[in-house]
Amino acid sequence: MKKALLIALFASLELAPACLAHVGSPDVYFQGNAGPYHLVATIHTPPMIPGVAQIEIRSDTPGLRDVMVTPLYINGDGSKYPPPPDKLQPAADDGQFFSGSIWLMDSGSWQVRAQADGALGAGTVAIPVPAFARSSLPMPKSLGAALLGLLVLLVAALVAIFGAARREGTLEAGEQPGPEQKRGARKVMAATLAITIAALAVGDLWWTDVATANTNRKIYRPPSLGISLVGDEMSLHIAESGWHARRQDTGMGALIADHGHLMHLFLVRAPDMDRLYHLHPQQDSTDPASFVDALPDIAVGHYRVFADIVRSSGFPDTMVKEIDIPQTSGGPLAGDDSEAMAAPLTDRSAGKLVAPLSGGAHMIWERDPGPIRSSRLLWFRFRVDDASGKPVTDLEPYMGMAGHAEFIASDFSVFAHIHPEGSISMAALALAGASSGSAPLEESAQTPAAPEMNMSAMAMPGMAGEMATGSSTTPASAEVSFPYGFPKAGVYRIFVQVKRKGKVETGVFDANVD
Amino acid sequence: MAQSIPLDITSRAESAGIASRAAAVPWQVWSGATAVTSITFGLYWDISWHMTIGRDTFWTPAHLAIQFGGLLAAVTCIYLIFSTTFATDPALRDASVRVWGFRGPLGAFFTAWGGVLMLTSVPFDNWWHASFGLDVQILSPPHFVLGTGINGVVLGATLMVVSAMNGADGIAKEKLVRLLLYLAGLQLVIHMMLLYEYSDASMMHSALFYRVMTIGVPLILIAFGRASGHRWGSTIIAAVYTAWMCAGLWIFPLFPASPKLGPVLTNVTFMLPLGFPILLVAPAALLDFAFQRTSGRGRWFQAAIAGTIFLAGLISVHWPFADFLISPLARNRIFGQNDLPYFFPPSRYYLICEFRRLDPTRFARLSGFSIAWMSAIVSSRIGIVIADALKRLRR
Repeated sequence: MKKALLIALFASLELAPACLAHVGSPDVYFQGNAGPYHLVATIHTPPMIPGVAQIEIRSDTPGLRDVMVTPLYINGDGSKYPPPPDKLQPAADDGQFFSGSIWLMDSGSWQVRAQADGALGAGTVAIPVPAFARSSLPMPKSLGAALLGLLVLLVAALVAIFGAARREGTLEAGEQPGPEQKRGARKVMAATLAITIAALAVGDLWWTDVATANTNRKIYRPPSLGISLVGDEMSLHIAESGWHARRQDTGMGALIADHGHLMHLFLVRAPDMDRLYHLHPQQDSTDPASFVDALPDIAVGHYRVFADIVRSSGFPDTMVKEIDIPQTSGGPLAGDDSEAMAAPLTDRSAGKLVAPLSGGAHMIWERDPGPIRSSRLLWFRFRVDDASGKPVTDLEPYMGMAGHAEFIASDFSVFAHIHPEGSISMAALALAGASSGSAPLEESAQTPAAPEMNMSAMAMPGMAGEMATGSSTTPASAEVSFPYGFPKAGVYRIFVQVKRKGKVETGVFDANVD
Repeated sequence: MAQSIPLDITSRAESAGIASRAAAVPWQVWSGATAVTSITFGLYWDISWHMTIGRDTFWTPAHLAIQFGGLLAAVTCIYLIFSTTFATDPALRDASVRVWGFRGPLGAFFTAWGGVLMLTSVPFDNWWHASFGLDVQILSPPHFVLGTGINGVVLGATLMVVSAMNGADGIAKEKLVRLLLYLAGLQLVIHMMLLYEYSDASMMHSALFYRVMTIGVPLILIAFGRASGHRWGSTIIAAVYTAWMCAGLWIFPLFPASPKLGPVLTNVTFMLPLGFPILLVAPAALLDFAFQRTSGRGRWFQAAIAGTIFLAGLISVHWPFADFLISPLARNRIFGQNDLPYFFPPSRYYLICEFRRLDPTRFARLSGFSIAWMSAIVSSRIGIVIADALKRLRR
């Protein structure tokens, strides 16, 4: 009976559905300058908020002695009173690698202010961290068994204690319990057992109620996206979201532009990922939750839709949808819109390090040898060569960035839109920079190219690969790089977008991740 | 029918020893009272810590105070149970109860049970944090388990006082009565801290507040107030609670402190207290008065009168007092109505100056107060049953 009760309790706390926010890639990867120090940071966010995030920071500029971190909201009320900073601990065998933890007590758009101090002086950089509860945890079987055992023991003990109280508690010293006391004790024990079981049943209902309420209230869910297609015009509507509505006073309502656009819409043909369209719908002038886009020519097929938006707090949402697109007869691509074509993704398509671009040019993935591991920071470096095989010198910013990369898992459970600065949204980075008084994005981008990270960095936990070269918004050379870590093992397709001679070029690569 | 055991000369001498011991307050009573005081203080401090500083570890001073209390109670009870079970002195065994082959004072078994339950709550609470987030809720299921365990420890300590008190006389009895009322006052403090989230001034014009107040408060006041035999037992218990809460309200803010995690939505510069006490002294005094006037009547009649007069007294005092608490006059160091935790958003500051509309309709309010009335009567009746049992307790 009691076991059944406890099993019922546990069954009510099944793992919550996989979170769709940012589509399966919740950790933050970042590179930037804190004064004279070029830092690379990884922040592993907790699955539940309030929770504790783990932060790792590496400097490839020698001389860094101390790193202090302060978590606070990017803007609004939670940004006015920063808590005292925490000191990160240097690694025993690498004085340029620091790690520690930060407490995130509520979901929202956070920044981690990292204050770096050392031989070259001091500097600060603000790293945006979107924090949101992703899942509750099922109770481990061993813990459940231990608690069940204790429950049985405690109930039995309580029954026995009340029985002893009735049998002997009122007797004078030395007096022995008689039949009346023993009979009474049996009745009291039966009543105690019945009351305790009833209390446990009520507790079961309460536990289930509290757990369900916690899950519904805390677990992040992106707004649902309504899409309709009339002719070549696609209409999109962002539905009301309870999670966002409960957090209206923390800037979870209005949208702000992220490198020039309120929405970045990605259409990926499923299941082969052989077509990608990166579009920018326009906001309806009368309804800020509605967008329209005059579609260009789009290949017929079933598409996965990923729509990126950024709230006024800097919090990013990625909404997902599936649609079938019939033959369209739209015009050519306009503005910042772009498209890409590639061979279908297969389990065996990983390994090619050269992707063809237009005009005989190529994009080369300068990949480090060895297997690709999940859950660790990697540097993805790509070089563009012209038809003659020489590195190009004419790359241009694409929407203000040296490049954009989309990492998509073969089962579409992961979608991450990455920039040279990392996995954070550029709008959030600008807000955080302004809030903290650290170098704004443009200034950061003009700093000299960081030197390459030495090989010892590759051995550090969570840090692998070589440091990026070039800056984030202006391609300094033929190379563009992105700091990112795959959240789990599997097959991924990577779309790398750069701009050359006024045309967006997309290199497509596949990766097998262990 | 209870059997009487003929006593030989040795037994008479041992009985004389027991009698002389009964004249003094037993050491385990002082130990239990110290443990309960430490736990109560630790709980108050812990809630203040969560409201002010936020960052929580197993080793915060507040947790250490709770753990010290639990450890002291556990060591006391383990010693009592083992020394009684394996004692060669039959007098000790004769004044004990038997549970699963072990012998000891009844209170020791309750305290041991409460201690094991407190320990059980630790892995449960850790899993709860990992699953649903770090502490932001006082009355969560694992905290309820912890609270039940603490109540077990406190009840055990109280039972040891009661059994000693029932066998004592003279000055020792007076001391034990005072100790009982003090421990019952702390039990009320613990109970009210568990209800802290439901005792905000903005809720005091709603039926929910009175429903919450009538669930356990009359039970504690009546059970221990009547068991003490003191004419004004319930009043003194409520006074102990009031004094404790006032001391916290006026002393804690003397210590500077600030949040150590974010987001800090409200600036905090000192240890926050847990607010002005609920005015329980008035309905408690009415309870004592009612029992003095209905002492010869049936138990259900007494409970009906007690429950009714408790609720009526609470409403008649607290309804107008809530108007004061919600006014600017109470936003000062005396009444502490502007002491807001660091996680309190400015968008909800209105809650310190207006009442929440928790009863959407007249029917909802009427049914809410009806439930509170029934709850007060049932709680009073259970309190009377417990008081009668406590009066008979000898071991």
